[in-house]
Amino acid sequence: MSERDPLEGLRPAPVKQDFSQPFWDGAAQGKFLLQYCPESGKYQFYPRPVSVQTGKRNLEWREVSGRGTVYSHTVTYRSPIPVKGIKPYIVALVELEEGVRVMANLIGCPVEAVKIGMAVKLAWVKAGEDNFPAFEPA
Amino acid sequence: MPQRDIAIIGASEVKIELRSGRTTYELAGEAMAGALANAGIDKSEIDGMAVTSCFSDAGNPFYSPILSAYLGLQLDWCQTTDLGGAGASGSVARAAMAIRAGLCHTVLVISADAQSTTNRGDIQGFRGEFQYPVGIMGPPGYFGLLSNRYDHQYGLDPKALAKLAVTQRDHALLNPLACEKLRKPLTEAEYLASPMISHPIRMLDCVMVADGASACIVTTTERAKALGVKRMAHPIGYGERVNHLEAENCPDITKVGQEVAGARALAQAGMKIGDIKQFHPYDDFLIAIILQMEGLGFCKPGEGCRYVLDHDFHWNGDLPLNTGGGQISAGQAGLAGGAHNLTEALRQLFGEAEGRQVKDNSNAMVTGIGWIPYGRNWGSSTVLVLEAG
Repeated sequence: MSERDPLEGLRPAPVKQDFSQPFWDGAAQGKFLLQYCPESGKYQFYPRPVSVQTGKRNLEWREVSGRGTVYSHTVTYRSPIPVKGIKPYIVALVELEEGVRVMANLIGCPVEAVKIGMAVKLAWVKAGEDNFPAFEPA
Repeated sequence: MPQRDIAIIGASEVKIELRSGRTTYELAGEAMAGALANAGIDKSEIDGMAVTSCFSDAGNPFYSPILSAYLGLQLDWCQTTDLGGAGASGSVARAAMAIRAGLCHTVLVISADAQSTTNRGDIQGFRGEFQYPVGIMGPPGYFGLLSNRYDHQYGLDPKALAKLAVTQRDHALLNPLACEKLRKPLTEAEYLASPMISHPIRMLDCVMVADGASACIVTTTERAKALGVKRMAHPIGYGERVNHLEAENCPDITKVGQEVAGARALAQAGMKIGDIKQFHPYDDFLIAIILQMEGLGFCKPGEGCRYVLDHDFHWNGDLPLNTGGGQISAGQAGLAGGAHNLTEALRQLFGEAEGRQVKDNSNAMVTGIGWIPYGRNWGSSTVLVLEAG
């Protein structure tokens, strides 16, 4: 646990899907990769086995900016196992420039300072041994 | 013209209890026996069963046939409905379909769960991969995200939420089957002072998970009359939407599937929303009631709080709402919780709601909500319109 990130060292390891592996391989190198549907020109997150637009399996993986804005947020006062009993922290829904939403912790931001529409940028944290996406004020 | 060929002829609910120590099968047995007695028919009449999935025996891939064996049922049609809290209303529609298709003639629609005693649920997929590491506090967290966005777009008035909390609590005081722990008077000030779980969701915005079961008997109107059934309820309109706006990456999180499901149910019933005499919306969180009022057209988007403050939702008010207490004040019997509001609507339509009987019980609207997708509004939405017959 740190002042900047109350969940540091406490996040459970992600239980990965087979089709998500490129995301985790990218994360390990500090790259935020999203699935991209070449037919619709749309990104998607979380990873799926098919394009949610076309149902086809011709998805590409593309590195994205990690820049976005807060679509919504909630400050967790009663936290679940395995992070039970820690000080309040922010869970945000971040809308990326590429047009997808990511649920992530907003770190380096006092809980009373989070606002819908605020600009944020990617900040990797650890979940188990894996790099996991979080955001901080831009 | 609405179809009145299908009839619900009996209903029963087990008293909701916290950590009862009972099993799903024991609770289901009591619910079935109660429904048969309420309908006044023999068990041998039952040749179909639809059951909602449950947490307490989750992981059992043979749940519906094992339950039917415990209940001593030989069936020509049997299924589990895994739409979460939309499973009970969804099962009524599926029962009607199976009967109309000639697969069976009399269906036990049953929901039982002892989640507060035993929870064998293990929901993984994207939750285990991308959600649990974030530390979001389950449903209160998802509804926190939804509520803050609603507040940003329209303004969320805690006094409107408090009014719903107090009204439903008043109803639980009148319902002997509501969980005893919740059968205590509640004031607006107590609601507002209840502890914050995941901002802006307070403790008293949320359901309390408990144990319980409900059942109803669905058959043809013709058969019901031949059996000498005196009062019944016809399911005259139904709509369902699973994963509303799923292919949209950035949908408006305040938009509910009931918008589509409600329009379809009302069209089938040949009704307008203003024709609804009592409203039994699924209530896992108080804001869900407001969003459904908006999506179903009781009021416009963003006007839900005003609408709540302007109306009296008591059993003797201008739009009786969740007259059994709703799940928030009667207790949520796990995934069987969606059957609580359905069973209360049936009691009202049968004229058996005792000290809280609504005056005009000619029809009722019941809704269901099940599961929460990643960062979105809820995933399963059902709307059922019932008419007294």
